[in-house]
Amino acid sequence: MKLKRVFAVLLASTMVMGMTACGGSGDTKGTSDQKEGTTATSEKSTEEAAQEAGEGDALTVWAWDEAFNIKAVEVAKEIYAKTNPDVKIDVVTMAQDDIVTKLNTSLSSGSYEGLPDIVLIEDYKAQGYLTSYLDEFADLSDIMNPADFAGYKTAVNEIDGKTYGIPFDSGVAATFYRTDYIEQAGYTQEDMQNLTWDKYIEIGKAVKEKCGVDMCTLDPSDIGQIRMMMQSAGAWYSGDDGKVTIADNQGLKDAITTYKALVESGCTKQISGWDPFVGAFNNGEVASVVTGCWIAPSVQKAEDQSGKWAVAPFPKMDANAESVNASSIGGGGWYVLKNVGNEAAAKDFLKNTFASNVDLMNQLAADITLVSTMNAAAEAENYKKGNDFFGGQEIFSDFATWTSEVPSVNYGMNTYVLEDLMTEAVQAIVSGADMDSTLKDYQAQAEAATAQ
Amino acid sequence: MSKKSRVMNVLQYVVLTILSIISIFPFFWMIIAATNKSVDVTKGTMVPGTYLLENIKNLMGSDLQYLTAFKNSLIIAVVTTALAMVVSSAAGYAFEVYKSKARDRVFSIVLLSMMVPFAALMVPLFRLFSKFNNIPVLKWIGLNSTGSVIIIAVATAFLIFFFRQNTKTFPRELIEASRIDGLGEFKIFTKIYMPTMKSTYAAAVVVTFMASWNNYLWPLIALQSEEKRTLPLVISAMGSSYTPDYGMIMTAVVIATLPTAIIFFIMQKQFVAGMTGSVKG
Repeated sequence: MKLKRVFAVLLASTMVMGMTACGGSGDTKGTSDQKEGTTATSEKSTEEAAQEAGEGDALTVWAWDEAFNIKAVEVAKEIYAKTNPDVKIDVVTMAQDDIVTKLNTSLSSGSYEGLPDIVLIEDYKAQGYLTSYLDEFADLSDIMNPADFAGYKTAVNEIDGKTYGIPFDSGVAATFYRTDYIEQAGYTQEDMQNLTWDKYIEIGKAVKEKCGVDMCTLDPSDIGQIRMMMQSAGAWYSGDDGKVTIADNQGLKDAITTYKALVESGCTKQISGWDPFVGAFNNGEVASVVTGCWIAPSVQKAEDQSGKWAVAPFPKMDANAESVNASSIGGGGWYVLKNVGNEAAAKDFLKNTFASNVDLMNQLAADITLVSTMNAAAEAENYKKGNDFFGGQEIFSDFATWTSEVPSVNYGMNTYVLEDLMTEAVQAIVSGADMDSTLKDYQAQAEAATAQ
Repeated sequence: MSKKSRVMNVLQYVVLTILSIISIFPFFWMIIAATNKSVDVTKGTMVPGTYLLENIKNLMGSDLQYLTAFKNSLIIAVVTTALAMVVSSAAGYAFEVYKSKARDRVFSIVLLSMMVPFAALMVPLFRLFSKFNNIPVLKWIGLNSTGSVIIIAVATAFLIFFFRQNTKTFPRELIEASRIDGLGEFKIFTKIYMPTMKSTYAAAVVVTFMASWNNYLWPLIALQSEEKRTLPLVISAMGSSYTPDYGMIMTAVVIATLPTAIIFFIMQKQFVAGMTGSVKG
């Protein structure tokens, strides 16, 4: 009897639930009609309000790194608020991989629930997004002038002559080095200018012999060095048309040859992962770090080494005539998702901040050591200040100059897929495999992996 | 004790010592790192530092709303665990105790759902949950609600399977005796079964709480706004800096490990009994 009663209650409750659900949806129709009416009037009133006191939208921005990108948006927000006090901007910190996962899920399911209006995307990933979801991104050609930014950055944001992103941070490559070690090894800061990799290795061997420390760290699972070398010669894993060009790519071959020479020189320290990488130079175990300018804050963390560091341009490859003393690693740009609903407001925010505001760039140089890719930033006040940690060198002005010299390449859609394959290929070649045949094998694998 | 067995004994202890050092070391490192400055962490310090308070201050002072995330995680984990215990144990009990023709077929469908990787369900689930937001009652479990993370973990194939396996060791005579004494089916479940299976519940609590506490992918996709985020998401956001503050991150991780550790130590005895019970069954 009791069981029956329980069942009856359960059944009844499910029915009630179902009815409320149906009734509910009917209700919403009614109320939504009403709402439409009310929203129509309220829209009017907000429009009026907007006319009176700017706009009343709430923008959401997604980016990673609280101490860097997020800080940049916060500063931009403050500057923007001076002229547009009513725009609410919500800045959300999220890991880069998390942003990628969320964007992919939302965009591929066509649901805009909770998506941001503005999102930071890494340069290497930009073309992939623009190609797959071109309809989701707003054309920003009318709010920025590509000529205002470093050429290699705008190449990343363009599709069919239209610009979809505002270039942000520079990933310009540089040679950070310890002046004390270099001098102890019998070289001068003069020798570090117009550096070539052969010279770099020569100095490295002397440093190893006389100071007992390695020249730099190498991480077998991260071939960023090869990427930088390759770009310094205007080459990439993929050609201008975005097709995989691993085999018969002179820039890549020269880069691998140089990398192999570096490995075999015996003046490098093998590490694995980010921690030991940073630890090596903070501990004074290496005499130089060759990577993007964004490493500067990490270098400066070791306060006891103040005054002992200097920065030189990226070394070029001796064997490659096209190679220059400038390259890039990393860096990103701001993109607007147009179907989320606040396209105009988002564009207006970017237009007045990251797309044009030199004062913002000037302040960010001081606040977060941002190296801007905006050409005009090189003239900003803070770019001309010497940095005591680097022996008074005007590092920002140097970074800005080198940024303008970085060769443009098409990063294509699949940088990370190709990079995974190439990490294996490079290890095989370094340990003795024939370069041409190995690259040919991996070309085939890469074509299969990217379905070309 | 013979010489041979004594040698074996020593060997056993040596191996066990090495294994426990290997498994304890990451925790040791984590705690050491939480008391040091970021620079010292990357330098590889192995001595406790004096920077713990500073790290905690930085953590609380950051914009990442660590405490909100902690609270969210706690609510989600507690509610999920409580609901899952009721729903999944009732399902497991019913699958074992009541006989029907379709029983085994339905059960194999339930088990089959364990074989589908979550990555394959992600997009359809996301679409489904985004539709919930437009329906009055269901919006409590729609996207960006705490409910969306809870509902998905309340009835899992693993828990149902786990409870069914353990119900096999539950003496049938008890059910029959209670029926004869006039106890209703519902009461048999709550008054007889639940108290008898305490250790099974304890094991299930530990497993469910940990899974919910550490769950990453679904909360990442389902939760949109900053004030709804759970701990793993916030910790992940912290780690993706160009110059991560390792001291602060490790402090965050240490605090995040505490609840699962506490739950485990409280229920350790029952947990072991529950797990071995399932093997016997």
